[in-house]
Amino acid sequence: MIKLIEKIEGEAKLNFSFKDNKIDDVSVDFMSTRHVEDILKGKTPLDALVINPRVCGICGHAHLIATVRALEACYEDIQISNKAKIIRELTLTFELIQNHFKWFYLTIFPFFGVKQEIAKALYPTQLMGKAIAVFGGQYPHTSYAIVGGVVCEVTNMDIIKVQRYIDETTDFFEKNVLSIQNSDLKTLNTLNDLSHVKGDLRDILKKIEQNDWQNLGKSYDRFIAFGESSYFKKGKSIKTRVTQNLAIDDVKETDSTTSFAKSVHYHDQYYEVGPLARAMIGKNPLIKDAHRRYGDSIFTRILARVYEIPQLLEHTKILIESLDLSEPSYIKPEVDISQLNAVGISAVEAARGTLIHKVEIEDLKIKSYEIITPTQWNLCGGHEQNLGVSQKAMIGLDNVKLAEMVFKTFDVCSVCTTH
Amino acid sequence: MKKTRVLWLTLMSCNGNTHSFLNYPYIEQFLNDFEFIYHPIIDSDYTLEEIISQDIACDILLIEGSVADDFIKAGVPGIDIIKRYAKIVEKIVTVGTCATFGGIFRESNYKDVSGLHFQEERRTDKYNDLFEKTVSISGCPVHPEVLVSTLYAIKKGLSLKLDAYLRPKEYFSYTIHNGCTRNEYFEYKVDNHHFGELEGCMFYDHGCRGPFTHGSCNKILWNEVNSKTRAGLPCMGCTEPSFPKRNIFETKKNMGIPEFLPVGVSKRTYLTLAGITKAFTIDRLEKKLFDD
Ligand code: SF4
Ligand code: SF4
Repeated sequence: MIKLIEKIEGEAKLNFSFKDNKIDDVSVDFMSTRHVEDILKGKTPLDALVINPRVCGICGHAHLIATVRALEACYEDIQISNKAKIIRELTLTFELIQNHFKWFYLTIFPFFGVKQEIAKALYPTQLMGKAIAVFGGQYPHTSYAIVGGVVCEVTNMDIIKVQRYIDETTDFFEKNVLSIQNSDLKTLNTLNDLSHVKGDLRDILKKIEQNDWQNLGKSYDRFIAFGESSYFKKGKSIKTRVTQNLAIDDVKETDSTTSFAKSVHYHDQYYEVGPLARAMIGKNPLIKDAHRRYGDSIFTRILARVYEIPQLLEHTKILIESLDLSEPSYIKPEVDISQLNAVGISAVEAARGTLIHKVEIEDLKIKSYEIITPTQWNLCGGHEQNLGVSQKAMIGLDNVKLAEMVFKTFDVCSVCTTH
Repeated sequence: MKKTRVLWLTLMSCNGNTHSFLNYPYIEQFLNDFEFIYHPIIDSDYTLEEIISQDIACDILLIEGSVADDFIKAGVPGIDIIKRYAKIVEKIVTVGTCATFGGIFRESNYKDVSGLHFQEERRTDKYNDLFEKTVSISGCPVHPEVLVSTLYAIKKGLSLKLDAYLRPKEYFSYTIHNGCTRNEYFEYKVDNHHFGELEGCMFYDHGCRGPFTHGSCNKILWNEVNSKTRAGLPCMGCTEPSFPKRNIFETKKNMGIPEFLPVGVSKRTYLTLAGITKAFTIDRLEKKLFDD
């Protein structure tokens, strides 16, 4: 049975086969691509800063940050001020936060008998967009992070403005999503602690339990994250065993015959990426407790994603406090990037997980460019002996509607997956 | 009043216009007056499968993304969906630079990628019968207020004054340069701009296309707070047919004179002005804006 999955930044086609009334196989096909990697070939390296945000309208900022870091990785030595690094982390974090709000209220809500909450999705989304625009000029599609730093100068008044956006978003979260002061997050260590808390997240989790869905959507229980930041750790987690040493060169892509999306694996194995992966690798107590009870199910996955919001908000407050405005925003590199013949790789944590960019510069031009998106990790199809992460999560379910929900808990982004 | 029925059709696109639209501050008000028969994110009464297989009543077709004959959307050629609804609707709006001029995906590997009526500056003549019905709102992405206000104007039946690319003049007669906070540096030709500073104009060295790009970015700010050029990022000309140009962060010059000059300014005029500005220095503009 073929089902077209819609409203996932495009579409995907899932082809299910059933045995004894249960899904025993499903293929995942993304049906079109835009050849961004080819468009980049032959361009001046800096032009990638303009083209790459246009890989994706919802997480384009992560593509910008991945691009600038890949370009900077082409240098043996390049000076970036701390201030520029912090500002880049801030704007990237704002994008993560707004992506999570949109997904929760627009994508997840309708599966639980409630209508999309457009106002609740968009109010915090717009605040976070404004916060990015203060630094980047606009959102979406700024290219304000350039090789050597960021283009903006930031004043005390800008900071005051951004702090108000953060506070207002925090307030919104506390009033609507989880009724607990952000400053008290540390008291939430188990699902039991959560039971005293109210709010839309709590309601959705209750509905999952009432429907007896808390064990649905389990996959390999294998997680990976390559993007390091002042907040996220790099590492992998298998069941609950976390190890830190990863080699990015061992990430490989393979073509698919039916789909425009290439699948991605690490040492020939599929891994889940995203907020749940980050929480497992970062050993977040609340998420680990949910995982202890329900494994890598939709319950844990939804909780992990929404619960990342207040933690990221708190982190942005710390980042802002650590800004030293007397540092330069931009330090002109001694050698122009187009003079290099080099390869640069970067990994950043985007809303949906690890995003990898790899650029090769030769004779003043981009010789090749490779982009591996988070959704490729989570959603690409494998085959029977080696199923992809989302495929495995759907096998054994007894109806297509549930499968669609499980699929969407990974937060599918079709444009990114195929780029 | 009856809600205006709108189909938001996304073709070869990054969905940036969809998300830019979601930054419109009063969407709930908008949704009291308009309803989407389909939208890539907002819930709608019909599925995409229903949209592509039936004729659903509709007033305005919004197209996001570039157009190519061999681009397939949900199993059918995207262009077939356009043709089906072009007959039904009263107006077509191309949303964003891709749908208007071909944009960034003009360079993808599909055949003959273009906007609905233009491939860069060139009229394609493919859908001439739809030309009269079309309004273009270019921009990569589209500005949410420009899009929404234009839709209201259509709903009210106003006759919009359009430019040669079918863009509403009220938004596209301005240049991006209008309203930029760096104007004084441009006017007096203070040409030592460095990235990361409040001071300086990016026209002379860093590729700013503001003086010859049409749009309202510095009049109707982005996210209601800022614009690229105010932040210190050169305008890339994303509302124009030729977007994206190459070597975006550089100003191409011939014998020291920028290749592209402000709209309507001849080379002679420019040189005369430049000559005059050489005769004086304005201390205030040579210094930091806020000095100690
Ligand atoms: S015009 Fe720009 S924002 Fe719009 S779809 Fe094209 S690339 Fe995306
Ligand atoms: S930076 Fe660009 S838009 Fe601003 S004043 Fe200079 S030329 Fe005009």
